Amino acid sequence: MKPRVLTVLILALAVFMNACGKSDADLAKAATDKLTADKVTGVTVAVNGGVATLTGEVADVAVKSNAETSVKSVEGIKSVTNNVTTKPLPVATPAAPDPMLTGKITEDLKKAGCSTASVSVVGGKVTVTGEVPSAVYAKCIQTIQQSGTAGVDNQLKKGR
Amino acid sequence: MSQEKYKSLLELANQNGTTYNLSEGAGGGLVVTGTAPSEEARQALWDEYNRIDPDFKSNDLILNIGLGDAAGGGGNSYTVESGDNLSKIGKKYGLQWKSIWDANRDILDDPDKIYPGQELKIP
Repeated sequence: MKPRVLTVLILALAVFMNACGKSDADLAKAATDKLTADKVTGVTVAVNGGVATLTGEVADVAVKSNAETSVKSVEGIKSVTNNVTTKPLPVATPAAPDPMLTGKITEDLKKAGCSTASVSVVGGKVTVTGEVPSAVYAKCIQTIQQSGTAGVDNQLKKGR
Repeated sequence: MSQEKYKSLLELANQNGTTYNLSEGAGGGLVVTGTAPSEEARQALWDEYNRIDPDFKSNDLILNIGLGDAAGGGGNSYTVESGDNLSKIGKKYGLQWKSIWDANRDILDDPDKIYPGQELKIP
């Protein structure tokens, strides 16, 4: 009986060792490789006791969350602490001087069937008022946002 | 913060091949300027936008997505209506009549003769 117990113990130990066989350094390398494969740049991984900590600065929140998903998928990583930050954004400048932007938007709105909407542009920010049929409402908003404006004050109403 | 609010929108853009740049708009909103590979891809982004911000009432996102060359795009143009003349059209865009005339010399022979239905390029 005794040798059998020992065998079971050794087997159990072997399985246990295998499960946590990867060292933190191995895991960090695997995670870094995975980030490279997923084309995530600017993120550094440190692993401590199977817990990965991500640091660095990336372009936006989508990249930040991609990095987390990538590292989570690495076998052996227990959890991920995501300390990645996003770069501060540059300030948008309106595409055209106000009177020109007003003219362009008014014209584009007419083409989109939104002639009952009216716009005024101050400091590159577009205020839209009036009422348009609900069927074209989304299209009217889309037209305004695609004009190159840097801000919108949407007071447009949905009519029938 | 707008970026977190519209995270799923940016993720969708990454997935469907839309390239974009982010900037901060007037009033601190998020401005997404980019190019979608197709009208379907662009529409998918607008659907997601509408889901996050029903009827686009929050005024914290400008989604300015154009279409790639393959999907077709187009510059600024104006369709002449009856009663229009070049200086009247110019006023709509804050332009001198002459700059519209100069941009359309290929289709216009006389600055006083424009016709309803004509497509003018707006410089």
